Amino acid sequence: MSAGMGAAMTWPSFVNPLGAVLFLAAIPLVILYFLKLRRPRVEIPSLVLWQSVVNDQRVNSPFQKFRRNLLLLLQLLILTLLVLALTQPFIGSAAGTAEFTPILIDCSASMSAIDPATGETRLSLILDQVRERINNLRSDQQFALFTFASTGRRLTEFTNDRRVLLQALESIEATDLPAQLDDVLRMAAAYTTSFPIREVILLTDGNLPESVEFELPFSLQVKRLQVQGANLGITEMTARRDGKDGWELFIRITGASEELQTAELQLYQNGEQIFTERISAAAGDGERLVFPIETDTLALVEARLIPAGEDVLETDNRCWLTLPATRSLQVLTLGQLTTWQRAVNVLDGVEQEVVTGGVPDQTEYDLIISDGEIPEGINAPVTLFVDVIPEDLSGLIEKREDVCTVTDWNRTAPLLQHVSLGDVQIGEQPAWGPEIGLRELEERGYEVLAEGNAGPLLLQKREGLKTTWWFTFHTDRSTLPYRVGFPILAANAVNSSLKQAALSEVSAAPTGVLPALQLDAGQDYQVEAPDGSLTAVRSGMTGLLTGIGASEVGQYRVRDGNDVVSIVGTGLLSLSETSLSAVDELRFAEVQVDTDATIRLETDRPLWWGLALGAFVVMLVEWWYFQRVRGVVD
Amino acid sequence: MSTAGGSQYTELFDNATLKQIERMRLRPLRRLTNRARGEHLSGKGGSSTDFADYRDYAVGDDLRYVDWNIFARLQRPFIKQFQHEEEMHVVLLVDGSTSMLSGDKFLRARQAAAAFGVMGLLNLERVSVYGIHSAGEQPAVFPPSTGRTKMRLLLSFLERMEGGGSIPLEQSIELMLRFHRGRGIAVLLSDFLTLGDLSRPLNMLYSSGLEPWGLQILSEAEVAPDVEGDLRFVDSETGTTLDITNAAELLSVYQQQRRQLERYLDAQCRRRQGRFLSVSTGVDLEQLLKDRLCRQGWVLR
Repeated sequence: MSAGMGAAMTWPSFVNPLGAVLFLAAIPLVILYFLKLRRPRVEIPSLVLWQSVVNDQRVNSPFQKFRRNLLLLLQLLILTLLVLALTQPFIGSAAGTAEFTPILIDCSASMSAIDPATGETRLSLILDQVRERINNLRSDQQFALFTFASTGRRLTEFTNDRRVLLQALESIEATDLPAQLDDVLRMAAAYTTSFPIREVILLTDGNLPESVEFELPFSLQVKRLQVQGANLGITEMTARRDGKDGWELFIRITGASEELQTAELQLYQNGEQIFTERISAAAGDGERLVFPIETDTLALVEARLIPAGEDVLETDNRCWLTLPATRSLQVLTLGQLTTWQRAVNVLDGVEQEVVTGGVPDQTEYDLIISDGEIPEGINAPVTLFVDVIPEDLSGLIEKREDVCTVTDWNRTAPLLQHVSLGDVQIGEQPAWGPEIGLRELEERGYEVLAEGNAGPLLLQKREGLKTTWWFTFHTDRSTLPYRVGFPILAANAVNSSLKQAALSEVSAAPTGVLPALQLDAGQDYQVEAPDGSLTAVRSGMTGLLTGIGASEVGQYRVRDGNDVVSIVGTGLLSLSETSLSAVDELRFAEVQVDTDATIRLETDRPLWWGLALGAFVVMLVEWWYFQRVRGVVD
Repeated sequence: MSTAGGSQYTELFDNATLKQIERMRLRPLRRLTNRARGEHLSGKGGSSTDFADYRDYAVGDDLRYVDWNIFARLQRPFIKQFQHEEEMHVVLLVDGSTSMLSGDKFLRARQAAAAFGVMGLLNLERVSVYGIHSAGEQPAVFPPSTGRTKMRLLLSFLERMEGGGSIPLEQSIELMLRFHRGRGIAVLLSDFLTLGDLSRPLNMLYSSGLEPWGLQILSEAEVAPDVEGDLRFVDSETGTTLDITNAAELLSVYQQQRRQLERYLDAQCRRRQGRFLSVSTGVDLEQLLKDRLCRQGWVLR
């Protein structure tokens, strides 16, 4: 797919061959030369001697005749050079001469790695190539510049305006995001409907996902920088609840080179150093470290990696993780759900409130298990309904007085992990309505986790941070409570709630988009990025603050006026970016693209400026030769 | 000295130069006699007492000139020849064409003519001056004169002489010969820059009994032109043009052509028992007279 560097240079081609018509200007030039040659008139006493000079055989030798018309020859030479420059000859590169060429520039985190050979970042090396290519842009060529990391970004429309392209190029900076090709390829593909794009140039260091779910509508020419360098970085940082007042912090360090590299890992809790550990890692031989963190309050843990040797990528050396305050999971059980109450009661770290017909004590819970409607004002991120059909599905699912069994269930769903429903008998039969199927439910955002022989038995719906499950039958009218899977099912629901409430396991947020934050509803906030820039945001009606871009590694502070209401740290946390590995082949749908590991981006070599410069030099020579001060004979 | 003290005798040169000129004499290669006297030097010998040479007796020779002493010893008759002083014409032809007006050529020509004229007058030669400048006009003529008394007239004539015209030198010579009768020397004061053939007028001079003395006077710009680049030369006399490309490159050829012209003119004059000298206006008059002309044997001091 990509053309090789070894292709031989061809004869010059011409962008504007019609410009050669101007060679006809040589005819009037010659005529005017002989008709209008302006020579200074010098009156001399007699022409006798000069006439004899002119008649001298030596003066009339071919060389002297040539010299006599040197001015004409120089003018013809200038005309030839100018006309050739106008035709815009160029020596085409093997890269082809597509007229509309999108250029996709990798701005992922690995592009900020410093090339040990040149001391420049990989992005700088690539931008130099693009700059050269732009400078050699022909008038019939148009480029559109795109950058990509985890998402794509269009910098320019198709244009041949060098100033615009170079200006856009100057604005490109490496981000702290992992590389993803899909988005930018879709953006480039969107242009194929408007422009005859035959080829897309992708400039990268090769640190890309090997497989891309995208069907290429054009030829993709991947130019990969061939750079190396040693690197160590933090690729994983998670914490798991350990007891009542503590956490176990897991950190994975990964190396990029085959040789073992050493570094010092420092851990800070709320700015105070709590651990220092010397580690060593190599490519494919990472190190996983576990640190106990004793805290029951909100804590911000920072991991700093200080490599002992060469480390070409700095952004993966720091990472932050916010540990929430530890507490018990608040579970509200509404209605006559004895089996569920018992199953939840035996679980550790759970405080269950059972309400049968009364009013709950609190308004906020982590998990609500109910067999009917939940009183207004009572909220929980995770809700489990038993024997309830969602209101918007009434009419789509109906209950029949019949027995049914579970025919299939989603074994990987968190709620159904390690739960076998194979021989569960159900005393009632939820059934599909007339001409209703799975599609109608999916259109409404429901996912069927378990299906009986007549209809859906377990539904799941996610809305923002909220997760809701519906058992469309009453579990007490089935053999499920008697199965060994039932306590597991209850434990799964509790564990999911614990995760949702970040009470059992938290992970450091990778760069890209900050994790959703639960704040006051409909409130304006400002998010302060690590570089100090402020972004105004507004929480949703549910108090959820989502979609905050985080392209840099560091701490993001959510401010309500001058008050900091939340601090979220991010890290690169990308194994592929830290490893700096380069893929040799990109797998697309039905096609594979080799990445061309050439250092330089091949560009057309326009010759017009050389010709124009030559014409200018000849003009200067002519001016110097013919227009200098002449001696005049009185 | 006939010059008035305290004032210049002539505008052409100062009194000191005139004083030096008065002591100079022309030195013709042959003393061609004036035909009006009816004598011929080679045919009859001279009538003076100065012995010149012997020659074989020829039938018809005057027996009075046989050297009888020689005849007695050798038994062969020899005619004894004697030199005699004859009246010699000094014809000064001053080229007044437009080409002579550039630089100081015309002035230098009139100065030289004055010098030659003074020398001739004081040596009792018959000096005449012809100033010719235009083909359609009669030449300005100073008639043949001799003696110191004519010096003032001669100098005044030359001072008043005007130039400007397009007559070529060969036509000037032929025009002069229409008016002049008398043998002697003809000093041609010109730049000799003519496209015509000088053989014929020089032959006419020679056959008229005049030694052609050519004094080519060129301006410094003609001797060493300082030109370069592409130029359009315009002839000052005819107005014709000549395009020259890269004149500086042609200067060496120009100098060769100029020297070739000198050699040609010198040969033409010598072939007719004459003399030729090319001088630049950069050479001052005193140097011309005392150095160049004396050294070349034109004048005696």
